[in-house]
Amino acid sequence: MSERRIGVYICHCGGNISDYVDVDQVLAAVRDEPDVAVARTAMFACSDATQQEMVQDIEDHHLDGLVVASCSPKLHMFTFRGVAKRAGLNPYEYTQVNIREQDSWAHTDDPVGATHKAISLVRAGIARTRLTTPLEPVVVETTPKAMVIGAGIAGLRAAIGLADIGLGVFLVERDEQLGGWVGRFGEMYPHQRNGQELIATLVEEVRKRPSITVFTNAELMAKSGSFGNYLAAVRVNTNPPNLIQVEVGSIIVATGFDTYQPEVGEYGYGIEGVLTLPEFKALVDGTRGSLTYHGKPVHTIAYVYCVGSRQPGGNEYCSRFCCAATVHASLEVAALDKTVHQYHLYRDIRTYGKYELLYTESRKKGSVYMKFPDDTPPAVARDGAGRLTVTTRDTLTGGEELTIPADLVVLVTGMVPRQNDELMNVLKLPVGRDGFFNEIHPKLRPVETVVDGVLIAGACQGPKNSAESVASGLAAVTQSAAILKKGVAELDPLVAAVDADACTWCGKCLEACPYAAVEQITVDGREVAAISATTCKGCGGCVPVCPEDAIDLRGYTDAQIRAMIDSLVEEPVA
Amino acid sequence: MTALVDASLLADVQRFGAADVSACFSCGNCTAICPLSTNDATFPRRLIRYAQVGMKDALLSSKELWTCYYCGECSDTCPTQADPGGFMAAARRYAIASYDRTHLARTMYTSPVLGSVIAVLLAAFFAVFMYASHGPQNAASLALFQFIPEELIHNTGVAVMILVFLAGLAGVATMARGIARREQITVRDVVGSRAGLKRSTQALWVALGIESLGQRRYRVDCETVQEAQPWYRRRWFIHAATMWGFLGLLTATILDYGLALLGIKATGTPVPIWYPVRLLGTVAGIALIYGTSLLILDRLRGANRSARDSTAADWMLLALLWVTGASGFLIELALYLPQPPLWGYWVFLFHVSVAMELVLLAPFMKFAHAVYRPVALFFYALAEHRGTEGS
Repeated sequence: MSERRIGVYICHCGGNISDYVDVDQVLAAVRDEPDVAVARTAMFACSDATQQEMVQDIEDHHLDGLVVASCSPKLHMFTFRGVAKRAGLNPYEYTQVNIREQDSWAHTDDPVGATHKAISLVRAGIARTRLTTPLEPVVVETTPKAMVIGAGIAGLRAAIGLADIGLGVFLVERDEQLGGWVGRFGEMYPHQRNGQELIATLVEEVRKRPSITVFTNAELMAKSGSFGNYLAAVRVNTNPPNLIQVEVGSIIVATGFDTYQPEVGEYGYGIEGVLTLPEFKALVDGTRGSLTYHGKPVHTIAYVYCVGSRQPGGNEYCSRFCCAATVHASLEVAALDKTVHQYHLYRDIRTYGKYELLYTESRKKGSVYMKFPDDTPPAVARDGAGRLTVTTRDTLTGGEELTIPADLVVLVTGMVPRQNDELMNVLKLPVGRDGFFNEIHPKLRPVETVVDGVLIAGACQGPKNSAESVASGLAAVTQSAAILKKGVAELDPLVAAVDADACTWCGKCLEACPYAAVEQITVDGREVAAISATTCKGCGGCVPVCPEDAIDLRGYTDAQIRAMIDSLVEEPVA
Repeated sequence: MTALVDASLLADVQRFGAADVSACFSCGNCTAICPLSTNDATFPRRLIRYAQVGMKDALLSSKELWTCYYCGECSDTCPTQADPGGFMAAARRYAIASYDRTHLARTMYTSPVLGSVIAVLLAAFFAVFMYASHGPQNAASLALFQFIPEELIHNTGVAVMILVFLAGLAGVATMARGIARREQITVRDVVGSRAGLKRSTQALWVALGIESLGQRRYRVDCETVQEAQPWYRRRWFIHAATMWGFLGLLTATILDYGLALLGIKATGTPVPIWYPVRLLGTVAGIALIYGTSLLILDRLRGANRSARDSTAADWMLLALLWVTGASGFLIELALYLPQPPLWGYWVFLFHVSVAMELVLLAPFMKFAHAVYRPVALFFYALAEHRGTEGS
């Protein structure tokens, strides 16, 4: 590599770095490094003034490389890529060196060591930058169609939203019927709207839109292609099964949830009169007149909350919807028959936001709420006289033990992730510790997944009520529009590439790739590997497994990594 | 021990006039503000919670029910207008009805009309019963005991007393057993040892002497609420006047009977005003009339929190007490008028009938608190004693 002209900027971060790292010593140590044309310190490298200074330096000194030693690239990588771009420098000629999170903050007890480490890190950054080459983003044209998997309330609403912004939609539902859970519900909170009617309205809207193609009894079997242009294989389970290939630019996964199914014996489940929340909801929804169970009138109901949720060692998350859903169901019961006695045994009542009003109303209607201690959950049993009872402790009476004879015991069961192993396999979607699909960032990128163009909506991401599910469905619509309405997408060029001359096709890279980006192709009569730049995530997993060293990661080539290591093992003090 | 929940408890207590305490969310402001709630007896919040949850036995065996004098500060402070004071009063009515196994108290409380009919019929029964054996009405001087034979009055009175005693004893036994179990106090604790006996005697003195006759807590601890009034208008004094008056009259009546039995003085013999028994009766009568008149007046005017919501049961007790007292004075008047009026005979018959009824109905109406409250105070004193020993 011919001689480079690199600018190096070392940031004080207003003391965050310079309180522990001697920034001037770092400057002195690196300013005379070969290829360094300009080296400066800055109070705040990210400030407008310093950014302006960098632009000026790049132009004045004809810099062809940029090293910024400041904070984590997670914070300001795009900031300094922007600086390079504005100054006419290819943004991939810039290297971020983290001397804050990984140095000054980590070694507050050792300023000398921290300074030495900073010198080494900056030198390594310079070493990497010496070997950079200009890279251009990968530009792909996108298909203006989307697939929605799951036709529950979130999927149906998303399909309508996609159609309304002019995208073609394939709505894929595993079940025979559209509507999911909500399609089975009667009255729902908060506005006493009937679930079946809501779904009927949405289905009607779907039918009105010719750009929506609905597949029922159908599953996604395979996904190939790359971001913006996926080829999806849908199997429709007719007799014989029918395999349909469709091209889509994005995929919205809205596969919903399952309800927690207690073990027999768990809180008395299996005893007659002990129901789960969905079983109870179906009973109440199907009741006209007074509530009866198996022909017997129901006078007293005990609800046991948090069954299958917030259990240490089990489902540790809160299922969010169940408190409000139960309180609402108890109000439905009160409307059927106000003389029914209702006891709510809870760990914490979380009728958050406006649903607090439901709680207040149910108390007014006579519901009694009893908090049981975390370590003493209620016990459900049928006593010697054949009477169904719940024994619990009421915190507000000083923890005295009491036994409630009840006609029905409702186990307030929460949401669990739906068993979707095949779909997870096809889409390579990561799940969190709780088993629900994971978004990239809960606040800033709430419906995107690490697989570009594959979005998640509704309760497949984690417990949500129907309002929240619809909101996330529409967020996924917006995100699809952001990808597909431009017609093209730009991808990061920091991906792996195969040197076809060196490759002997052993297939190791194919096994190592978690994103199915490796393909076997024929070049000049030889079988070699090819990596799709649009599918590759640049994880680097394939690079070390290649026995021929035929794969390099752009931006992090073997040569660059070696140069960085060499510079790191050098004695730091100049 | 696990308590079996009675889901209908709250609704049942509400039949006795409780406000809608389902609004109560157990914040405990009532307990905090209550001048009588102590570590040995916390209320009203906990008792409201018992009712909400349906812990019937816990509610009925809480001595705390009876340590409240309904100053009403809790109700004024309650952020949800659940009226804890009103609840306590209703729960006491509920307790009186529950300690009584005859169901008569429940009827008296929950059906005011039927209760009033029973009261009138009972008085009428006594009147007819005694009138059936009446003698001549001497016009020259009021020979009351010729008109209604002394023997008949005394024997009926003794019979009524025995009935009342038995009924009261049954109620007290039910109550005391419940509280003792709840407080984990055994008979052995109370009378089983010399130390225990001493402790119990002290507690009895505190309950009967200091608290019941002396009205100490009512007088001292509820003082804050009563400062605005002169002493003779304070709630505790009016209540005490009524109580002392009634006890004085009861004592005078029994003494009079005793003097007759001993042959010292025949019942109905005119005596001068300074004659001890007569003096006692007169002073006690004045106290009773003063107390009951002011109680009635306060209730009519809604002068304080507890007087603001009056039930039929409150009126019935006051009415019977007042009428008994007033008719007694009328007889007194008739006896000492220079020309004895014939209406004196009828007032006498009325007085005797109403007095009999008052005593007979005592365990089945508000009057019963006169027995139940001291029992609770006895256990309270024991608990306090235990508290001091422990510390």
